[in-house]
Amino acid sequence: MSGKVREQVASPLDAAADQMLADRAADGDLRAFEVLVRRYGPLMRVYATRVLGSNDETDDVVQESFITAWQQLGSLEDGSAVKSWLMRIVGRKSIDRLRARRPHVNIDDTDASAPECRAPHVLAEVESETEALARVLAALPVDQRRCWTLRELAEYSYGDIAAELNLSLSTVRGLLARARKTLLRQMEDWR
Amino acid sequence: MTERTPANRRFFAFDVDSTEQEQAGLNGHTIEQLSDYLDRERMPADPGIDDSPDCEIALRGLERLRRAQRSLLERDLERESRRDDSWVSPILNNISLEAHAGREIPLTHPSPIARLVVTEGAVRGMLRETGDRMQNVFVGRCVLVGDVSVPGAPISIRVDVTVFPGENIPRLADQLRDAMYATLSKYTELVVVAIDITVSDLHSLPDASAHEQEK
Repeated sequence: MSGKVREQVASPLDAAADQMLADRAADGDLRAFEVLVRRYGPLMRVYATRVLGSNDETDDVVQESFITAWQQLGSLEDGSAVKSWLMRIVGRKSIDRLRARRPHVNIDDTDASAPECRAPHVLAEVESETEALARVLAALPVDQRRCWTLRELAEYSYGDIAAELNLSLSTVRGLLARARKTLLRQMEDWR
Repeated sequence: MTERTPANRRFFAFDVDSTEQEQAGLNGHTIEQLSDYLDRERMPADPGIDDSPDCEIALRGLERLRRAQRSLLERDLERESRRDDSWVSPILNNISLEAHAGREIPLTHPSPIARLVVTEGAVRGMLRETGDRMQNVFVGRCVLVGDVSVPGAPISIRVDVTVFPGENIPRLADQLRDAMYATLSKYTELVVVAIDITVSDLHSLPDASAHEQEK
């Protein structure tokens, strides 16, 4: 999965490799940076929205991430790794947001679970597996969803998730196990 | 979690609260182990997993979950990619070009009280544009080596370049070097003793280290 967006501007840079674009952007080339923004912005938005559990703050988080990326591009040694580097920045920014709104976390949880109560059997029959997964994910407790997203979407190791979320390794494993089992159980209903 | 179907219909290894149930239902394994096993593409083969019908049910469930994950991600990405362009300009408008200005390079001026400089970032920009005006070549990183802040001090320039396959690399590098010298002498007073151009083929693999050093 490349995570690339459709071409918007006809420029030779649109076809350039990540490394070239990252190198040029690190040297201050705004056009090269714009190509990276278009190339990975959509994937970063998807990812931020999944971690945050809604898209209310996605614009802000992605914008902050790119501003940070622009400032720190000089510290990126391997330009060809710019995609995972960007994903890490947006992951961190998203998690910072979640921390900032921690007092409301439980309220969010309750709200997120609400749609699930609407005639789940009927829903399961008409919606696709994809839609069902989106619904079940949204209903997961915040901690579980965060771990699952970092693991499955961002492909973090268990240790990285623990470090990023300030949790013990065993807590991360426990949360992931619960998330997976919940998703697997729900999936049994989709058949 | 509300119980919407009778408990006995559930595959009991998926019991959310009990690791014991999980292991008992999976021939001693856990969902995490099976998930890691899938990550490794079931290698090296583990007969304890492969020969267990219960593990097979769980693995099929995990695989199905992953397929759903992938299509969910693709769907989300497709939706984000279809959005109008309005999200791009706020990002570009909010970044500071100063961040990559680099060192200040003095320019002489007839007036003793005037101080004229060009930034390192601007010089790199000129070098990139010089390359962009040529066909079939991309200029990547440009590094000014030496003390550019001292007028007349000799410096050298290192340039990474990517070219399209089939190009005559030595000739292209010579042309680029000449063009860059012309640009530098037109817009700066830098004393450039060398422009070292490192060329890589556009379609060569990143780790193939097929770099050719051109002096």
